[in-house]
Amino acid sequence: MAKGFGDVILELSEQDPRVCGVSCDCWGFLQPLAQRFPERAIEIGIAEQNLIGIGAGLAVRGKIPFVIGMNPFVTMRCFEQIRTDLGYGARNVKVVGGYGYGLMYAGWGCTHHAMEEAALMRLIPGMTVVMPADGFETEQTMRAIAAIDGPAYFANQGGNLLPDQPEEQREFTLGKAVRLREGGAATVLSTGPIAAEALRAADELAAAGKPVRVLHVHTLKPLDAEAVLSAARETPLLVTLEEHTVIGGLGGAVAEVLAEHGCGVPLRRLGVQDVFAVMSGSHADVKRRHGISAEAVVAAVNGER
Amino acid sequence: MNLSDLRDKARRIRAGVLRIAAMSDCHTGGSLSIADLLAALYFHWLRVDPHNPGWEGRDYFVLSKGHCVPALDAALALRGFFPEELLTTHLELDSILSGHACARLTPGIDASTGSLGHGLPLGVGIALGVKMDAAPNRVVVMLGDGELQEGSNWEAAMAASHHKLGQLVAIVDRNKYQTGRTEEMMALEPLADKWRAFGWAVRDVDGHDLGEIVAALDALPFGPGRPSCLIADTVKGKGVSFLETHHMYRLNADSLVAALAELGEGA
Repeated sequence: MAKGFGDVILELSEQDPRVCGVSCDCWGFLQPLAQRFPERAIEIGIAEQNLIGIGAGLAVRGKIPFVIGMNPFVTMRCFEQIRTDLGYGARNVKVVGGYGYGLMYAGWGCTHHAMEEAALMRLIPGMTVVMPADGFETEQTMRAIAAIDGPAYFANQGGNLLPDQPEEQREFTLGKAVRLREGGAATVLSTGPIAAEALRAADELAAAGKPVRVLHVHTLKPLDAEAVLSAARETPLLVTLEEHTVIGGLGGAVAEVLAEHGCGVPLRRLGVQDVFAVMSGSHADVKRRHGISAEAVVAAVNGER
Repeated sequence: MNLSDLRDKARRIRAGVLRIAAMSDCHTGGSLSIADLLAALYFHWLRVDPHNPGWEGRDYFVLSKGHCVPALDAALALRGFFPEELLTTHLELDSILSGHACARLTPGIDASTGSLGHGLPLGVGIALGVKMDAAPNRVVVMLGDGELQEGSNWEAAMAASHHKLGQLVAIVDRNKYQTGRTEEMMALEPLADKWRAFGWAVRDVDGHDLGEIVAALDALPFGPGRPSCLIADTVKGKGVSFLETHHMYRLNADSLVAALAELGEGA
């Protein structure tokens, strides 16, 4: 069973006295750390710009802060601070979208949608950007980014993408995409928890005699370009699936690689198609409305538009 | 260092700014207004080691008004962080001196700034890190007055007093000009009351009277367990009559000689 954010940051803090946590009204995430090392858990209130600046200052002092806020706000409100204080400053700060990735807060309206989070973070030179699928990948991501010297962003997740597979058999390497299914009819690339829908589509397609490769791209930057190029060489169609605008996220990143290498393989980008998402409905409703679902993947592989 | 020597350092910082302004575009106004404050900080108060800029025991200085880096560069060169002859490489390709404070290029600079409203949050973070270490390092953030219109400053001001950052000092260069008169563009007064309302201990000082500045620095912190704010009343472009109130000024060979002469320096 994967550890949650609170227990992983506590573990990292026990291993390295430089690790600390800063919360932007997300104090619950720092409870285990605050109980063990109260001086290393800091609440700064609802103030994202200040959150990032404080993180940068802690890094100036040699700390390794994990600064945590809600995904849409911690990536957009303080984008310039992340870009300038952390990117340009080359500061060893880990920005955490604690809750509210993608379209998770569907019916709360577009203020609470984080459909630009990966694109914005990917724009910043030197930034590592990870969209884990579940609790296991989140735990691995935290350990991996704590071990590199530089700024990183990840969207925190719980749950278990692969309940039938023991965690110790799973692989995770930062910057390396994971092949979750094999098949030659197409490659479905996913990022974040929507990988579960890619797997559901793959199982349905396999049952219908059209097995597809599922390539789960948890690390959007640095992108595993070799895995994308292999898929382009070995399968006749690429379909990207993400709970994000198709501009600048997984779909955009894959398109850049394919075009630069003159691959010429067809690409379908499933995600939010340059619109604001619908503002009411359940999470499942909103994803379905925008074609971010197993059904949409099956249709794309079958050549339907 | 006695006051007469400090005044000489301030004069040499100003001369450095003028030489930069004769070579490249330069924010002369706000650079000249902080020259006396920088002289007192770098030659009287800050504990820094020019031979080991990353020394863990150093006091931290964040120039939040990063466009005034010519004055900081001049002070750092004078203090021995790098040779003074490098000052006139400001803005040249591959120089160690950028047009805004750059920690990646310039020895002695801890924070890259230039976009206003970033320095105080950075300073709060450094001070929180120092507090975590129970260490004696002090943290100074120098802010422009117009810059205080950025809301991020007040997020940071609130956090600094909430977390009782007694080793944090904000110095406001109150030169009363941004691209126009600050009180006309977006009034800040009553400025000291604003800082007090955010929980800071505040003192006013004449930002060009080195005796007053030194006395104020020596009195830090102004209140136990509270961050301190020093509001320095200054003149934009101070030291050269024809540069006063100008935000930027490009000197030519003749105006450089005239400007240096006003400082009592030869070209």
